[in-house]
Amino acid sequence: MTLAHKTPLTPLDDAFTPEGGKQLPAPLKSLRDIRSKAITGMALPNRRTENWKYSSRYLKLDPELAPQTQATGDADYRSVEGVYRLVIRNGLVDLESSALPTGDGIDIRRFADLDDVTAQSVARKLDTTLDHGTTQLAALNTARLEDGVLIRLSADTSVDQPVYIQYVTDAGASGSNYPRVMVEAGQGSKMTLVEEYISNGDQPVLVDSVSELLLDDSANITYIRLCMDPANVRHIGATGVKVGANARFDSHCIGFGGDLRRHDLQVRLEGQGGYARLNGIALTQDRQHYDNHTAIDHVVPNCDSDENYRCLAADRSHAIFNGRIHIHPDAQQSHADMNNKNLLLSTNAEIDTKPELEIYADDVTCAHGATVGQLDEGSLFYLTSRGIDRDTAATMLSMAFVHELVGQVPLEDIREAVNTRLTDFIEASFRRAAE
Amino acid sequence: MLTIKNLHASVEGTPILKGINLEIKPGEVHAVMGPNGSGKSTLAQVLVGHEAFEVTEGEILFDGQNLLELEVEERALAGLFLAFQYPVEIPGVSNLQFLRTALNTLRKHHGQDELDAPSFMKLAKEKAKQVDLSPDFLKRGVNEGFSGGEKKRNEIMQMLMMEPRLGILDETDSGLDIDALKTIANGVNTLRADDRSFLVVTHYQRLLNHIVPDVVHVLANGQIIKTGDKQLAMELEEHGYGWLGINEAEAAG
Ligand SMILES: Nc1ncnc2c1ncn2[C@@H]1O[C@H](COP(=O)(O)OP(=O)(O)OP(=O)(O)O)[C@@H](O)[C@H]1O
Ligand SMILES: [Mg+2]
Repeated sequence: MTLAHKTPLTPLDDAFTPEGGKQLPAPLKSLRDIRSKAITGMALPNRRTENWKYSSRYLKLDPELAPQTQATGDADYRSVEGVYRLVIRNGLVDLESSALPTGDGIDIRRFADLDDVTAQSVARKLDTTLDHGTTQLAALNTARLEDGVLIRLSADTSVDQPVYIQYVTDAGASGSNYPRVMVEAGQGSKMTLVEEYISNGDQPVLVDSVSELLLDDSANITYIRLCMDPANVRHIGATGVKVGANARFDSHCIGFGGDLRRHDLQVRLEGQGGYARLNGIALTQDRQHYDNHTAIDHVVPNCDSDENYRCLAADRSHAIFNGRIHIHPDAQQSHADMNNKNLLLSTNAEIDTKPELEIYADDVTCAHGATVGQLDEGSLFYLTSRGIDRDTAATMLSMAFVHELVGQVPLEDIREAVNTRLTDFIEASFRRAAE
Repeated sequence: MLTIKNLHASVEGTPILKGINLEIKPGEVHAVMGPNGSGKSTLAQVLVGHEAFEVTEGEILFDGQNLLELEVEERALAGLFLAFQYPVEIPGVSNLQFLRTALNTLRKHHGQDELDAPSFMKLAKEKAKQVDLSPDFLKRGVNEGFSGGEKKRNEIMQMLMMEPRLGILDETDSGLDIDALKTIANGVNTLRADDRSFLVVTHYQRLLNHIVPDVVHVLANGQIIKTGDKQLAMELEEHGYGWLGINEAEAAG
C-alpha cells in the first residue's frame, strides 16, 4: 500500500469551474452551481482509482483545456440524408444548422428555452441515470452546463426518421465543451438516436458529454454512438439509460482511439420484461487510447441483456474494456450474456479486459467471456496464397472480426459509412506498420 | 515450367523433404502419390510458400524465376495456385469479397481493368455452376460451415476463376462422392491447355481416370522413389506400395 504515498493527488484546476450558465432557466442554473461548487478542486482520478486504473495516465486536464471551445471557422457538417438533424457545436445548440421534426409527438427543445415547470422537472431527472461513484467527470459536465437538449416523445409516438445529433468541436484552439442531452421516451414510443462526434482543427481539445435516456414502459430506443473523430479530440463521455417494463434499448457504440477516449455506458433495467443490447467496437492505433466501461443493472426480475464488445489494438495503442453486470437480489429470472473479444494487431499494443459480475439472485443465467487473440496465421496464408497482399489480407481479417457487429448497425447508410471508415482506419495502421 | 532441384525442407528442425527432383513442362499433368506422411502436402505447401517449412537446400525455378525469393502473394500472382487439402474457414469474410479481391488483384497485376460488381457476379456464378456449387455459397463466409465436398468444390471454383499457370491439387478427390469427383475432374479438364500445367496429389487411381496424367511419381519418406506413366498408378492401386520396397507404417513414421 505504499503506492498511496507515491501517487500524488492532482486537483481539478480552478479554470475548469468558471461562472456561467447564464442562459439556463433558474432550476438548471442552480443545479449547475451546486455541481460546480461540489467539484471545485476535486481530486482527479489516478491509478489508484479502480475505474480509472488503466486510463488515468491519459487524463491530463491541463488548464489550456478549460475554456469553452469557440467557432474557429466553418464547420464541415457531413450531410446525412433521411434524418432529423440536430447540431450541437462547441456544446451549444445550433438551431439554424439543424433540421428538426415538426410533427406531433416529438418535442426537441434547448434547455435555455424551457419553461420553469419543465426546467424543474429536467433538473430533478438530470444525473439520475449515472452512478456518480464511477462517472466522476460527468459531474464536470453538469458543472459546465451552458445549454442542453431535451427530447421528449409522447406515448406511442414512432419517430419516422432517425434523430441525428452532430456534435461539432472546433479544435482550431485548445479548449473544451460539455454537451448535454436528455431523452424522455414515453410509453410505447420508438426512435433511433444517432450521436456523431466530429471536429475540425488539430489542437488538443476535450469533449465531456453526457446523454441520459429515460425509457418508459414499452418504449423502444436504438442508440448509435459514433466517436470517430481525430486523435487530438479527447473524449470523456457518459451515457445513462433507464429501461422501463417491456421496453427495449439497443446500442451500438463505435469509436476510434485518441489521446484520451473514455465512454461509460450505464443501463438500468428497472421494469420487468425490459431488454438491453449493448454492442461496441473500439479501434486503436499509434499511441491511442480507448476505454469502454459498461454497467448493466438488472434491478427487477425477468429482464434480459446481451452485450458484445470488440476491441482491436494496433501499434503501441491501448484498449480497455470493463463490463460490469449487477444482478440485484430481487432480479430473479434475469438472463445476462456478456462477451468481449479482443484482437492485438501488434505485440506492442495493450488490451485490458475485465468482466465484473455481481450476482445477488439465485435463479438467473449469466454468461460471460473475454478473450484476447491475434490474427490467425492460417487464414492470412490462405488469403495471401490467392495473391492478396498481406496488409489487405490482415485488413480483411480484422474487419471479419467486427463483421457481425457492424452488420447489426440498423441503418444502411450508417452501416456502410462505418464499414468504410473502419476499413480505412485499419488499413492505414497496417500500411504504417509496414513502412 | 517448374523445375525442382534437390529440394530439402524441414519443419521445426525435422527434415521432411529430402532431395526432391522434379521437372514439369508446359501442358503436362503430373500426379504425385505416396503413403500418408511421405511429404506430399509439404511439397505443395513449400511450392506456394508456407512459412512453417524451411527450405534448407536446393532450388525451385518457375518460368525461370527463383520461386524461393518470392512472397506467398507474389507466387500466386506469378501463376501458382494450390487447392488445399484442408481449406480454412474464415467467418466474416464473404466468399464473394474474397474472390473479388483476389481476382481483381490478379487482373491489376496483369494490367487489366478491375471487374465491376455485376461482371464479377456473372463470372462467379458461371464458375460456381461449373462445379455444381449454388450461388448462395458466394454470400457465405469463406468455407464457413461448408461440407468437406463443398470446400473442395470451392477450391476448384477459385482455380477456375484465377486460371493459374500451374494448378496444384492436394487430395482434392478425398471425401468426394463419385459424381462430385467427375464434376471436379471436368472443371480441371476445362482448364487444361498447352501453357498450363498441373501437379495432382492423390491416393487414388480413380481420379486419374478422369484427369489423365502424363507422369506419375511416387513420393516416400521425402524422396521421389519412382516415376512412370499412368500405368504406374494402376499398379499402385492394385499392389499398394509394398513392392516398391517401403512399408506404409515405416514411411509414415
Ligand atoms: N506444421 C507441421 N509441424 C510438424 N510436423 C509437420 C507439419 N507439417 C507436416 N508435418 C509432418 O511432416 C510429415 C509429412 O506431412 P505431409 O502432410 O506432407 O504428408 P502427406 O504426404 O501429405 O500425407 P497425407 O497423405 O496423410 O496427406 C508428416 O510426418 C507430418 O506430421
Ligand atoms: Mg497431405
